Amino acid sequence: MLIARNIQYLVQGRAIVNKVSLQLNPGELTAIVGPNGAGKSSLLKVLAGDYKAQAGEIIYNGKAIENHRPKDLAKIRAVMPQHSQLTFPFKVKEVVELGLLSLGMAGGEQLVKEVMIETQTWGFRDRLYGALSGGEKQRVQLARVLVQVWAGSDQPKFLLLDEPTSSMDIAHQHQVLHIASQLKRKKIAVLAVLHDLNMAAAYADQVILLKEGKVYQQGAVAEVMASQHLEHVFEHPILVRNGYDGMPHFIQSLPVHHQSHTFKIA
Amino acid sequence: MISKLAISNKVSHQRLVLGAMAFLLLVLGVLSLSMGAFPIPLSKVMQVIFGEWMGSDGVSLQEKNVLLQIRLPRLLLAMLVGGALGIAGAALQGLFRNPLVEPGLIGVSSGSALFAVIFIVFGSSLPFLSALGKFGLVGFAFIGGLLNTFLVYRLSSQAGKTDISLLILAGVALNALAGALIGLSIFYADDAALRNFTFWSLGDVGGANWEKVLLMLGFSILPVGLIIGQHRALNALAIGESEAFHMGVDVQKTKLLILVGSALVVGTAVALTGTIGFVGLVVPHLLRILFGADHRLVIPGSFLAGAILLTMADLLARTIVAPAEMPIGIITAILGAPFFIWLLINVKQIRT
Repeated sequence: MLIARNIQYLVQGRAIVNKVSLQLNPGELTAIVGPNGAGKSSLLKVLAGDYKAQAGEIIYNGKAIENHRPKDLAKIRAVMPQHSQLTFPFKVKEVVELGLLSLGMAGGEQLVKEVMIETQTWGFRDRLYGALSGGEKQRVQLARVLVQVWAGSDQPKFLLLDEPTSSMDIAHQHQVLHIASQLKRKKIAVLAVLHDLNMAAAYADQVILLKEGKVYQQGAVAEVMASQHLEHVFEHPILVRNGYDGMPHFIQSLPVHHQSHTFKIA
Repeated sequence: MISKLAISNKVSHQRLVLGAMAFLLLVLGVLSLSMGAFPIPLSKVMQVIFGEWMGSDGVSLQEKNVLLQIRLPRLLLAMLVGGALGIAGAALQGLFRNPLVEPGLIGVSSGSALFAVIFIVFGSSLPFLSALGKFGLVGFAFIGGLLNTFLVYRLSSQAGKTDISLLILAGVALNALAGALIGLSIFYADDAALRNFTFWSLGDVGGANWEKVLLMLGFSILPVGLIIGQHRALNALAIGESEAFHMGVDVQKTKLLILVGSALVVGTAVALTGTIGFVGLVVPHLLRILFGADHRLVIPGSFLAGAILLTMADLLARTIVAPAEMPIGIITAILGAPFFIWLLINVKQIRT
């Protein structure tokens, strides 16, 4: 499991991530939501090991992150970045195959094919990555990071996704989050920064609501995704209707001029 | 059809391409041995190379000497230097994720040239330089290349990330500074040193001998091997530095290996043969356009293609104005500059 305790990440003395503690359990999908500049991506990068936290500790499977070599860390955690550009003319399949890097190459061919079919990228495997649309590129990057954690293992693995669906059409957004939730069966803990509150509510087990670098609320969907919490964090009128009959929560932001008697900026 | 074949049998296809390039290099090498101001028939070239087995009937001592003491070392030096420039260009482009980087741009060449001119001009008057002995020029030029590369890299890097536009600016600035300091050194040079440096800077494999070949070989084997070993890391780096780290690449180690390795081989090449431009820029591009971006092919392929290109350029240099010789740097620039312009125009297409 991944445990972060009181992590603090400062840029020029300003706390971008401020005393955040969290725990990622295998088989759970955790969503991070919050307004622009809340520190969502920074938090993800600190957890991934890109940025070094000035305070606090991050522990992957019982061992502090700084004691993992890059190679060992890559065996248990994969990260999908927000944007990825390639300078050179790589083919789609070559990009996905990069995910095999930390595994050694044995049995890679079959694994790559399986993941590419799952992410609906197998159909354009021979095309150049640079010629794809934004959404297609994201699916290719997702395939690449899935390859890294797909194979079964005795130790828990972690998948960190930074807005994995930002350029996707609605069907592919659901497809991606469906794949992410299927990963729970593989002893994988998934952490996703999500922009779409409805997607977060529909797929997450645990939601972390960030505001100004701090955790405002953290817990199960039904507790965290409540109107008053969301309105406070986003400083905007937001309506939440509880799901019934197995339907997910329905979250709607209201026009600025909408007068809600329940809305107060706390 | 061909692309499908390439995907299903990618590794064997890459081996085939590399094998074909090696074969081409061999054929070109034999041809190049036979051609020149003093033509030697192919059959005699074979006789001299395979000596014992084919006998040396009808081969004159002069032909043997021209082949073994002049052409063969020259050919081998051209191959090694071309290979060094090609592989360093490919690795540096990969490391900086920029197809317009070449060893010259990041300051290896100008740093080596500056230190070479300092050695040539002031070597005899500075005891610590002359104490370096026979390997002094190569060693000193190597240090210069490494130092300048390091400065360019430090100037363009912040918090572990390299800013490409800063890199290019830093390269231009340090190249200009090195150029000025070279001018300053020349200002203090006597006639002999001036003549020495002028010949050195024209870029020329004409002064080749077995000692230089062994020196180049000795300084290249380890760095070239290390750079080839980084092909997976370079593929990962193509997506980005943090992505490469996420995939388990020790990015800092890769940077160091490639920078030191490139500075070593290019510094040695520049010290031995002067500044030969465009090989390091053109060769990796040619390979990417023809065979794709996978560094497993591009890196060793750039070594072979660089060797082929420089062997060809040297053959041209020796034959087009025979019995005189044209400096090889002029040939590579005449071939390379139009290609560079074409590259600038089509850079968008190449990036995708």
